[in-house]
Amino acid sequence: MADPVASVLPSPVASAPRKRSDLKRLGIFAAIALVVIAIGPYVLPMYMVNGLIRAFLYAAVALTVDVLWGYTGILTFGQSAFFGIGAYAAGLMFTHVGFSTGYAAIALVAGVGVAMLVAGLVGWLAFYHGASPLYGSVVTLVLPIVVTQILFSGGNFTGSSSGLSGFESFDVSIEAWFWIAGGFLVALTSAAWLFVRSDAGRILVAIRENEQRCEYVGINVSRVKIVLMVVCAAIAAIAGYAFAGVQMVVAPEYAGFVFGTELLIWVALGGRGTLIGPVIGTLVLDVSTSYLSGNLPFVWKLVIGVAFVVVIVALPQGLTPLVTRTARRLFGRREADAPDAPVTFEHSAAAPYAGLEGAGQQALAVEGVRKHFGSLAVLQGIDFTANRGELLSLVGPNGAGKTTLMRCVADGNERSGGTVRINDHDIGRKPPYTCVGFGVGRKFQTANVFETLTVAEALRIARTRMARPSLWSRDGTLPLPEASLQVIRATGLDLQIGTEARHLSHGMKQALELAMVLALEPSVLLLDEPTAGLTKPERTMIGGILVNLAQKHRLCILLVEHDLDFVREISSRVIVLHQGRLVLDGTVAEVVESELVRTIYSGAAHGAPS
Amino acid sequence: MSTLLDILTTAAILYSVCAGLLLVFGVMKIINFAHGGFLTVGGYSALLVTHLGLHPWWAPAFAFVIGAVCGMAIERLVVRPLYSRPLDAILATWGLGIIIGQVITLAFGREVQFVKSPVTGALDLPGGASYSEYRLLLVAVAVALGLTLAAVLEGTRLGLVTRAVIMNENLARALGINSGLVRFATFSLGAGLASLAGSLITPLSSVDPNMGVPWLVNAFMLVMVSGVSLVSLAIACVVLGGAQVLVSQWGNPILGGLTIVVLAAFVLRLRPQGFSRG
Repeated sequence: MADPVASVLPSPVASAPRKRSDLKRLGIFAAIALVVIAIGPYVLPMYMVNGLIRAFLYAAVALTVDVLWGYTGILTFGQSAFFGIGAYAAGLMFTHVGFSTGYAAIALVAGVGVAMLVAGLVGWLAFYHGASPLYGSVVTLVLPIVVTQILFSGGNFTGSSSGLSGFESFDVSIEAWFWIAGGFLVALTSAAWLFVRSDAGRILVAIRENEQRCEYVGINVSRVKIVLMVVCAAIAAIAGYAFAGVQMVVAPEYAGFVFGTELLIWVALGGRGTLIGPVIGTLVLDVSTSYLSGNLPFVWKLVIGVAFVVVIVALPQGLTPLVTRTARRLFGRREADAPDAPVTFEHSAAAPYAGLEGAGQQALAVEGVRKHFGSLAVLQGIDFTANRGELLSLVGPNGAGKTTLMRCVADGNERSGGTVRINDHDIGRKPPYTCVGFGVGRKFQTANVFETLTVAEALRIARTRMARPSLWSRDGTLPLPEASLQVIRATGLDLQIGTEARHLSHGMKQALELAMVLALEPSVLLLDEPTAGLTKPERTMIGGILVNLAQKHRLCILLVEHDLDFVREISSRVIVLHQGRLVLDGTVAEVVESELVRTIYSGAAHGAPS
Repeated sequence: MSTLLDILTTAAILYSVCAGLLLVFGVMKIINFAHGGFLTVGGYSALLVTHLGLHPWWAPAFAFVIGAVCGMAIERLVVRPLYSRPLDAILATWGLGIIIGQVITLAFGREVQFVKSPVTGALDLPGGASYSEYRLLLVAVAVALGLTLAAVLEGTRLGLVTRAVIMNENLARALGINSGLVRFATFSLGAGLASLAGSLITPLSSVDPNMGVPWLVNAFMLVMVSGVSLVSLAIACVVLGGAQVLVSQWGNPILGGLTIVVLAAFVLRLRPQGFSRG
């Protein structure tokens, strides 16, 4: 599809140096943190050293909550359950079997393994295709309740409500535990920092911003969430295991729902989606709680409650952004890092869908497609086929079923009956991300983009299917197919690649979405009123691009459009829908001349027996 | 026979506890996690009535008024800014629950206390057994509550406006309905009903500052499987509440405590619209 000569666009942002300085900053921060942790046990009072060990481990769990909730938008009450599973793995093993290095290793593997299994089950339950975010939260709420009840009912085996204590554990000094827990937290925070800023980490934000768009660029959102859940569960279980090792006590509360919400409070107060905020929030709040709850038992908890409500209502980003902004103002520093990854675009090598190229089959076949909502039939037996290189316009009055038909082509779960084949693949009941794999690209009626991602980031998300993004770094180049580059250049998006989508104009958002869909290298392109709300010159330009895509790149384009003049200019064929039926399928001339179309549009055909 | 009555009375209690939460969820599309706090407020209102030496019959009315007043203040200060952030509303109202619990602890102490029951007798059953009259009374209360709510929703202008907001808030607003006022009234009513329910359940057990939390989770799950319909809530209470009674009786009480949450989670997984008609 694209010519192999790499033509690199000039990048408006300086590239490599900034990236290296990012790593350097991380290195400096980590080194300072490690030094502080190294000298901590020598200068801090014993009570505080103890408290901090616990807080380090809690902070590790809070970090996973931040990745799940702050970055990915999964409000989870359940991370405490995994912490508890890890803790009980140690507690049960050391109480009932005894302590040895071998048993300790087995307990760790078992704890992490069980936590991952449970997380997989929870993920399967909570994140099925089409699940509401509220349902996901419900399941994470049920989990800790179930785990604590199981622990309660375990009798002497789990120690019931009083838990297990007094078991033999690692022969490690308090200082060493402080270093282990602190080092674990620093390593984890650094890894998480690299991950969320990497190309793969941006997918999490994309999911938070717009799950639907993610599915329609071919990302299996459910799977991403489940994998993330499993990894976060493993981390929480390790923290819990270490907790049991150092405290030599485990109790059902550590797996409970209240601890789960406490984690959310720490994350919210520290600042969700900042990583460092939740860590500091946890350390400060947990340590101060252990000091203050003695003096002001109920008032302190009341203060935390009030602060939590105030932050959620008035400062949803938490206290960290507030602190850093104030610090910057005080020291007169400019905003430290631009949010954009410096990126240069280049031509991608053509990546045709395996087995679809060159056989000359039908691009799109729609047979007897029906759709009804209850007793209301929206589509009734739609039949048509389309080949590559065709620009097929769907016209019809409002409510004719045009958008519904688009939906039925791009998502196997939408239609009530009939068959849809993309490049000879029956889409069956397959979800949108699988249909993308068959070659469908869908652009929505209203611009459907990722509001807080930059243009370059959004385009990279659209390339996830083609190029597996790195889990720890950002790529400086972004290969895109020629058609996508053409849209980017023609609309001037290349001058705004570091701009977040929410700051783009309406027309630019439309262009961005089109460029993203084209970045998928689709062979069947579905466009729902791509020119709605655009100016005349913008429409003409988009029209030119579409004609070029159909003729030069041999795409099969299905276009929903109200503007009949626009349709006449660019279409190679027109289909007329009326009250859920296909009433005409012909050339532009045939449709324009048609008496039927004129009656439909003048409204005379409404109410006629159909 | 007594198992059957257990199922019936358990369902009735659950229904009373859930009604306020359902109303708030239906109209405002937010989950009010301060619901448990309002139940506690109701419990302590009943305790106050006992302390003041008033007849226990005053407790429900007293609880309703106090709950509704708390609800009014909270809607204005906390809930209103969160209309567009439903997941944050869960968290903020959970925080409110903590605040309510701590204020009550400071005012009344954290120990478990007991409330006088308005009806103490037991009814003799045909088989020679007997059954608590108060629990049976709660069935009547729940039925009355359901019928009153239905009558308000179906029969009054306020109900009509409320139903309009439930179905399509933007359209309702465009037609000149003050949806902010509807939300305000709903939240206050929901808080009042929760508090009322709190005062009704206290004679069965006792009051303590965290008494609302266990109820909250069950109520939340029941509302999730009910959609926004009072009828499907009744069905859900009977089916899941019944399952809870049976599991507690034939299995063990701890498993019984889990029945509602676990069943509801699976019901929603297999049938996302739950007990309401798709």
